[in-house]
Amino acid sequence: MMLLKIAWRNVWRSKLRSSVVILAIASGLIGGLASTAWMNGMADQRIESTFAIETAHIQLHNKTFNENFEITKTIDSTNYVLNEVRKIKGVKSATSRISIQAMASTASNNTGVTLIGVDKEMEKEVSMVYSKIDSVSGNYLETKSRVIPTIVVSKALAKELKLKLKSKIILTFQNYNGDLNGSPFKVVGIYKTDNSKWDKRFVFAKQSDLRRLASVPKDETHEIAILVDNYNEAKKISEIIQNKFPQIKSEDWAVIQPYTEMMTSYMGIMMYVFMSIILAALGFGIVNTMLMVILERTRELGMLMAIGMSGKRIFIMIMLETVFLSLVGAIVGEILSYTLIEYLGVAGIDLSSMAQGIESVGFSVVSYPKLDLYSYVEITIMVFITSVIASIYPAYKAVKLNPTEAIRSI
Amino acid sequence: MSVIKIKNITKTYTETEVPVHAVNGVDLEIEKGEFTAIVGPSGSGKTTLLNMIGGLEKPTSGNITINDTEIENLSSSDLIDFRLRNIGFVFQAYNLIPVLTAKENVEFIMSLQNIDKAEINKRTISLLESVGLGNRVNSKPTQLSGGQQQRVAVARALASKPQFVLADEPTANLDSVSTSQLLEIMEELNKKENMTFIFSTHDQRVVDKAHRIITIEDGKIISDVRK
Ligand SMILES: Nc1ncnc2c1ncn2[C@@H]1O[C@H](COP(=O)(O)OP(=O)(O)OP(=O)(O)O)[C@@H](O)[C@H]1O
Ligand SMILES: [Mg+2]
Repeated sequence: MMLLKIAWRNVWRSKLRSSVVILAIASGLIGGLASTAWMNGMADQRIESTFAIETAHIQLHNKTFNENFEITKTIDSTNYVLNEVRKIKGVKSATSRISIQAMASTASNNTGVTLIGVDKEMEKEVSMVYSKIDSVSGNYLETKSRVIPTIVVSKALAKELKLKLKSKIILTFQNYNGDLNGSPFKVVGIYKTDNSKWDKRFVFAKQSDLRRLASVPKDETHEIAILVDNYNEAKKISEIIQNKFPQIKSEDWAVIQPYTEMMTSYMGIMMYVFMSIILAALGFGIVNTMLMVILERTRELGMLMAIGMSGKRIFIMIMLETVFLSLVGAIVGEILSYTLIEYLGVAGIDLSSMAQGIESVGFSVVSYPKLDLYSYVEITIMVFITSVIASIYPAYKAVKLNPTEAIRSI
Repeated sequence: MSVIKIKNITKTYTETEVPVHAVNGVDLEIEKGEFTAIVGPSGSGKTTLLNMIGGLEKPTSGNITINDTEIENLSSSDLIDFRLRNIGFVFQAYNLIPVLTAKENVEFIMSLQNIDKAEINKRTISLLESVGLGNRVNSKPTQLSGGQQQRVAVARALASKPQFVLADEPTANLDSVSTSQLLEIMEELNKKENMTFIFSTHDQRVVDKAHRIITIEDGKIISDVRK
């Protein structure tokens, strides 16, 4: 008890020096935590948009579809499968898609695309692409057109092919019977996600239109996309589906997009690496400060040993003082970091000036840093461990002082 | 009954250019309740002798027995504990822990002995009263005069109920008023509690108060007078 009191008061003995150490620790933590939170936020947004737009959580295909994306490699009895899948616990929504490799051409240019035939209402429950069309860029296949089928393309593709709303675009593809087939579509919506590469690839039309144009038999589709309640359970649910439908291939997001999987685990490790480097640097600063403290208090420590304070108690006292000093720094740093991160988490960090570079790799321009409370606890523990380690050498030095020499220097 | 028995101790410092025989063959017995001054010119070996009696330095030869314990045979950690339980120290300066109040400084040494709280509290107040600081218990050392700080140090030295109190030039930094106050308090405690005091000094007025005066020169006792 007494040692705690002495150690705590000793922290405040040299206010200036302690404040410098506390501020150093605090700034280190702010730097580390804020950048971790920023990366976290970016990664999270990336992951969420990957799920919401690109991969969903689970995808079902014909076993050989992914080899050549052949139009004949379909899932049979789509509606039955859909219904069964929806019954599985943990499944939130599911939709079916026709997927055709096509050549998109306009008067000015042509490029390869993947033409997705969606059931508009069902699709909205799985994919957020519909929400990526702003008010001046049309709509998600709502416009009725008797004459020619409608299509939604991305802004990036529109630019490349010089398309505008209501423009016509010719899509050429092989139909189910193997014949080459070219059909005009009318652009009714232009979307834009954070991933411009993905955007250039995918165009969306009504499933019924494509079924007719490509002669895809009734109840056959190429893909079933599924969202689950908790993305961490995707793997488990995917296995359940796989067991139920051995003739179909079921894959969860980590398999479809290994990059996303890598990023989630990478971000976790990143924080430790980052913080370890910062804390190691701070640790040396703490060691140095405590050595100065011991030098200054040589006589006092000598007196304490002379009157009967054991080496063990001296050691504990120095260690406690180091830990207190560091934890005060940690708490100050964490409060400031929390405030900053929460603020930026709402306000966002806007990197418009670097927008092209970021979007081409699929990150959004405005990111919202975030850090869960658990990370703060972890950081506190890391600072605690650092300070205990940093205190060992100074405390050892203190214990090794010779009391008579210390006293004679009076 | 003698509290301290010293048999032919010497202390030679060899890490100097020429070996220094700081204490050079001292035989001495100190009885319970004695009030002893050790005097002698600077460099005569007073501090060295007191440090050896207090178990802070090991003699080069000879032995010191304190209440049947031969202290040179104790391991260094046993020695720390021995000092804590048997010897009260008052140094010339830097006696107190600056971040603790007068009361806490006195309590501190008892908390090292694991004495229970109620006992600590009672004893602390009565000790501080007996050194005339009953009204300054919550002052920090920096808020006290040099003389008051030395009085707290005396109270602290007594708190652990030691066999004797060693004081190396306790008045060296004090003015004459504080010096005589401190001496009176020590004398009083010596009389009332039969506490053994051994102190070194340069100050003739301090010497005059002592009941036994041991004079050393060049590490040897040249006179030992009881009044
Ligand atoms: N650690 C040491 N190393 C070498 N010599 C020392 C050491 N400590 C003391 N001495 C020497 O031992 C001798 C006795 O010193 P000591 O401090 O005991 O004298 P003192 O009587 O207390 O003097 P003062 O009245 O000045 O305090 C001196 O010559 C001193 O220089
Ligand atoms: Mg001396």
